[in-house]
Amino acid sequence: MPTSTFDIFRYQPDTGPEHFRQTYELEHDADLTLLDAVLRLQNEQDGTLAVRYSCRSAICGSCACRADGKTVLACMSQVEDLKAQNGGQPIKVDPIGNFEPLKDLIVDMDPFWEKFKSVKPYLVPDGPAPEKERIVSKEAMQKIYNESKCILCAACYSECNSLAADADYVGPAALAWGYRFAADERDGQRTARAKLYSGEHGVWDCTRCMYCNERCPKGVDPRDAIEKLGGIAFNEGVSWADAGARHAKAFLISMRTGGKLNETLLVPFTNPIKSQLDLPFALRMLSKGKAPSPIPHRIKKLDEVKKLMKNVKETI
Amino acid sequence: MARQFAYYPGCVAEFSSKELNRTTKALAPMLDIELLPMPAATCCGAGDIAEAKPNLYLTLNVRILSQAEEMGVDIMTICNVCTLNLRRANKLVKDDPRLLEAVNEELVKAGARPYEGTREVTHLLWFLATEEGLSLLEKQGPKGLKGLRVAPYYGCQLLRPSSVMGFEDPDQPQSLERLIRALGGEVADYEAKSKCCGFPILLAREAVALKESHVALSQARDSGADCMVTPCPLCHLAMDAYQRKAEAANATEYNMPVLHLPQLIGLGLGIDTSIMEFKRHMVPVNNVLEVVGS
Repeated sequence: MPTSTFDIFRYQPDTGPEHFRQTYELEHDADLTLLDAVLRLQNEQDGTLAVRYSCRSAICGSCACRADGKTVLACMSQVEDLKAQNGGQPIKVDPIGNFEPLKDLIVDMDPFWEKFKSVKPYLVPDGPAPEKERIVSKEAMQKIYNESKCILCAACYSECNSLAADADYVGPAALAWGYRFAADERDGQRTARAKLYSGEHGVWDCTRCMYCNERCPKGVDPRDAIEKLGGIAFNEGVSWADAGARHAKAFLISMRTGGKLNETLLVPFTNPIKSQLDLPFALRMLSKGKAPSPIPHRIKKLDEVKKLMKNVKETI
Repeated sequence: MARQFAYYPGCVAEFSSKELNRTTKALAPMLDIELLPMPAATCCGAGDIAEAKPNLYLTLNVRILSQAEEMGVDIMTICNVCTLNLRRANKLVKDDPRLLEAVNEELVKAGARPYEGTREVTHLLWFLATEEGLSLLEKQGPKGLKGLRVAPYYGCQLLRPSSVMGFEDPDQPQSLERLIRALGGEVADYEAKSKCCGFPILLAREAVALKESHVALSQARDSGADCMVTPCPLCHLAMDAYQRKAEAANATEYNMPVLHLPQLIGLGLGIDTSIMEFKRHMVPVNNVLEVVGS
């Protein structure tokens, strides 16, 4: 029987304000999950050890935590796999990131649920309800299949680099749900949703660190959903409202006029006022030869690109 | 015979970070590679075109892949963002023949060559961090980095999502470390080496982005590094060009020179420093040149 060592984050607000770490050893069968390990420690060694869980089957999303720094569902992670990955070191177990701990591995999820609610994660159909159910084709459901798999475990939220820098960012899970309803053909709020998600702390705040896609235990790919919400904002014509959308627009204009990024256009177009105020910075860039040529580059066969830009239809 | 690649430097290396493009071209013959130009290649869209018009993003990137196919070679990049955008498009159409067919229909309609799905996209770092690449460096008899303490900075899009990138474990990357050691440098390790530099939102959300770059810059400083090295010109802009702004925003100092990957290799191989155009950096690299004795 293998023996494993666990180095666990502790916080017991009833007995003291400080965070500390505690090491436990456990002899166990080869096929033990991290959640079962923590529950055995709780039952057999330390009844004060607090953890949140429910289904034990990767469905409820309650037991997300960090194992060796990486957010996982504890019920989906095998202790022996974690040891194989870390070279047999003690397994470091921490609460998920971007949250305040309440007790040991349990965090305060309230901000997450508030943001989730803020995207209106429910269908808002147009017109009166039909007499029978609304039939949706397989193709239409396929568009939102990935996002429908989200179990709200917050693994994406835990690792999001935008959130680490801006606690008000609505975050990947909420936006994935936003897309799931914005792209549902039964929903009548597509334009309103595009506007709602495109403001400050929304779609255009994603820093594209790709951690959400990497960590999601269910294959939701939240970053892809955020990207599709950008596409919906463009389709719905709300694309001028935010500096992030204008940034994307500058790429489209560059593409049409030369085929390469026109950096001269990018800065003033994205942020017209701020770029004026930033003159000293611009001059420093200029002195280092970092100011791009005002004459845009022009690739060969630009006519192909112009035709593609005219012809290719967006199906989002 | 030199190994040939279709060379896709990306927009930033061609324009505001010319030092990266020029250093790469200067290194190529020493590494026994030939970088063939792609005069009709567009910008990859940098994730921005994908975020505005996803189908257009895919079609434009497949057009680039098809140009490399016509040249009969794989693509080599020197930018994380270009690598991800091209590889993602490549995977999407290779995994879905019906999608490839639809994209090709558009390409043909616009007078462009259809893509057969036969090409790969690699980054200079990936090419060099293999046994073959390291032996190419060894053959040059590197003059060495003389114990220069280098903090490797990967950024995001060369590592994640691993389903598209797949060269190494995104949580324990080692390719930059292998190169630093092979060139006689010391690795200054720190946790944030694969966190985001904030560049994609630097223009639209400067305050947020400067908090992001602070994490890696401050940790690299605290690790005692003489400099950082990055395989991505966008990370370089965030870390070098915007470093003074990050210092002001976070009320601290980093004084952290940031090298492009090919510059670090150039220093290790002892090529003329004027070729590498360190004068185009915002943060001076004098301390680095002193350690290596260039």
